[in-house]
Amino acid sequence: MSGAGFSIDLHRCVGCGACVIACRIENARTEQHAWRRVLPLNLRRHPGGPTYFLSVACHHCDQPACLRGCPSRAYEKRVDGVVVHHDDRCLGCRYCEMTCPFGAPTYDPARGVVSKCHLCAHRLDRGLPPACVAACPTTALRTLEADSALEAGTQPTVPGFVDAAGCRPNIRFASPKGARRSALYADLEQRIKR
Amino acid sequence: MAVLRTIRTVCPRNCYGTCGMLVTLDHTNHIVAIEGDPANPATEGHVCLKGLSYARRIGYRDRLLTPVRRRGTGTHFDPVSWDDAIGEIAERLIRIRDAHGPAGVLYYEGSGSHGALGGLSMAFWRQFGGCTTTYGDLCWPAGLEATRLTYGANRHNHPRLTRDSRFVLIWGHNPAETSIHQWRLILDAQARGAVVAVIDPRSTDTTDAADLHLQPRPGTDAALALGLARIIVDAGLHDSAFLDAHATGFEAYRARLDEYPADRVAAITGLDESWIRELALAYARTRPALLMAGFGLQRHHHAGQTMRAVSLLPALTGNVGVAGGGWQYANLASHCLKPLPLPAEPEAHPRTFPVSQVAHHLETLSDPPIRGAWIERGNPASQNPSAPRIRAALRALDLVVVVDQFMTPTARCADFVLPAKSLFEEEDLVTAYWHPYLQWRARILDPPGAVKPETDIWRLLCRQFGYDTSWFPDNRRDVLRGLLPEGHESALEDLMARPLDLSGYGDVAFADRAFPTPSGRVQFASDEAAGLWGVAPVPAYTALHEGHDGAIAARLPLQLLSCKTRDRIHSQFGNLDWVQAIERPHVLDIHPQDAASRGIEDGARVAVWNDRGRVELAARVTPGIRTGVVHILEGWCHDGDPDVNALTAEGVTDINHGATFYECLVEVMPV
Repeated sequence: MSGAGFSIDLHRCVGCGACVIACRIENARTEQHAWRRVLPLNLRRHPGGPTYFLSVACHHCDQPACLRGCPSRAYEKRVDGVVVHHDDRCLGCRYCEMTCPFGAPTYDPARGVVSKCHLCAHRLDRGLPPACVAACPTTALRTLEADSALEAGTQPTVPGFVDAAGCRPNIRFASPKGARRSALYADLEQRIKR
Repeated sequence: MAVLRTIRTVCPRNCYGTCGMLVTLDHTNHIVAIEGDPANPATEGHVCLKGLSYARRIGYRDRLLTPVRRRGTGTHFDPVSWDDAIGEIAERLIRIRDAHGPAGVLYYEGSGSHGALGGLSMAFWRQFGGCTTTYGDLCWPAGLEATRLTYGANRHNHPRLTRDSRFVLIWGHNPAETSIHQWRLILDAQARGAVVAVIDPRSTDTTDAADLHLQPRPGTDAALALGLARIIVDAGLHDSAFLDAHATGFEAYRARLDEYPADRVAAITGLDESWIRELALAYARTRPALLMAGFGLQRHHHAGQTMRAVSLLPALTGNVGVAGGGWQYANLASHCLKPLPLPAEPEAHPRTFPVSQVAHHLETLSDPPIRGAWIERGNPASQNPSAPRIRAALRALDLVVVVDQFMTPTARCADFVLPAKSLFEEEDLVTAYWHPYLQWRARILDPPGAVKPETDIWRLLCRQFGYDTSWFPDNRRDVLRGLLPEGHESALEDLMARPLDLSGYGDVAFADRAFPTPSGRVQFASDEAAGLWGVAPVPAYTALHEGHDGAIAARLPLQLLSCKTRDRIHSQFGNLDWVQAIERPHVLDIHPQDAASRGIEDGARVAVWNDRGRVELAARVTPGIRTGVVHILEGWCHDGDPDVNALTAEGVTDINHGATFYECLVEVMPV
């Protein structure tokens, strides 16, 4: 794990979308598709599985498919792990939209180039967290700790999120909710006693 | 390098948060960042998605930047100068007053933008000779008055003390969606070991994270509260020492509890008896326990008695005046401003009617009839009960003036729409109802285009009529300074620097156990309630007229709830593309059993109707909602089709003139 990426606490995330809007403001994504999205899982609240929200942007993968698939070398994996896109080298061919299994790069027809989350590298350089992380009202969204040991208790995947292409995405999930009410209810007495 | 400036201000929306905000602008006055103000100890440096989306809303393409006038009787509006608009509006107001007297004009203000200066509108209307106004409130008044009757005042613990709670009972409330800062504190308490229990007929983002979720039938909360109390008292878990020292009427209340054995309460609420028992014992055994009630359980006819019954549980268990415990409904500690200086009321007493009955009164008032309306900070043609009738009634008037930033459904009923300021375009003082802080709203930007703050509009109108305009001094800070409470007359500059709690109540409400009630004690029985509102001194459960077991339910068997979403404040923000990109879908939630028996498939278009109206939308079949209950998010008015309030009734609550949105039976069928 390279250390550049996000961690999301699924118990604390309510899918409100403040991260999406903060990203739009910070990165002037006024009209186009946002770099960050919230993918709700099981809003119908089927009892067979949990309901949660995956707030996702670029995962700054260790094996970035966007980089591998780019014919013009517009992508760069920085030494700090951030995967950045260089607009001035971009042909606008949109191959990366096809190769990235997570939908991170999006095409901007107005400028004829692709763009994506750069982890607010300009903010990181000033010691500030990315705009989405700063805006999260429940403090569910964080950047990954440089030392992966600090991500104890988190897991690399949850139902609904698969690394089928072997990109080794840098995202960690904390406290995914289990089967909902019955398990929680059984737990109640234990917690009262504690 | 661009020069940036950051300005401290506050969000004035009708919301628990009332967030302190830091707005950063570049040298072209473009907003480059909106952040929470860390100096507000309740919102703790956070805002929500709506606060962030002001960056889009202020300069949004649909924003009204000039007065507009309806062309003939059509649907087109043409720009018009302020001089022409004010001149013609004044002429028509005079014509109505000449024919019908000043009460022939309705002045309606909603809760769309909080600020002390809003009340200056009456400086015009009083000089006009009065007008017809509304009283009561669509949102929360029954719970406010119930709390006042029980505890003497609407105060609660400082929000951050939520973290000290060991048991958080959330009743008819969805803070994960509608009170996000409260939710962060609850999650923190839960991470520290607190149990979170939720009472809500729906499954929500709040119930998803809860340890215990009970889904009673809507409108049966009073029975549930009394049933929980009965179990607690029977188990000897009530706090006798607290009750002996600080309560009155407990014996009468105890006699009332005899009517609510657990089996009867289970039958009324539709809950499993063992779960009721489990909740009662867990709540009573865990201290400190916080009971946090929302507004949802008081949107029916028996709202006041329901809220009185629920509000007594913290006193019963001795959780009042305790950090991490308490009764949390609304905190009016910041409502400490003096009344605005205004001209004397006209001698002829002005006419007024309940705000939940706008349609009825527009249609039926005579002697004089309503012939004109001025509407600001509100959207009654979408948000009030029986909204389609309000739209029809407004269109039939001789003059409708609406002040708004956008062409809302109400604005589309107007003859003149005057462009309203945004929160960044006029200084004001803003109170809150969740935290105790009074906050300064800064003027960050000049109003764009021809936009004028409402106070300037009222001053223009006063000038047109030749009235005294000294109520609107050039420097509005002089007005605001005069409103500050005794002992804090020079606090205005301090408020510009940070939010202030001027109440002196302290962080723990009623820590001194001094209750400003008639007895000085918690009122388990209240003769005041009986005297003021004609209700029983000890609260009881009464079945709803439009309830699950009434005569109407035989024909219209589903209880419709129209709850709030995180994406909007009522109908505000829903017009923005940024919000539409992330908002929850506009669907009817229905349980699989109710759907199957009606042949409704997930995603199918359905008709929802009752005797008042009919709407069509897509169904979402979800086991998350209770059987017998259906739900539509309120405040949706895309494409100009506000709908859920086509179904809601114009009832008035038993106590304090609230609305009855959630007492609404419907039937649903596939289209």
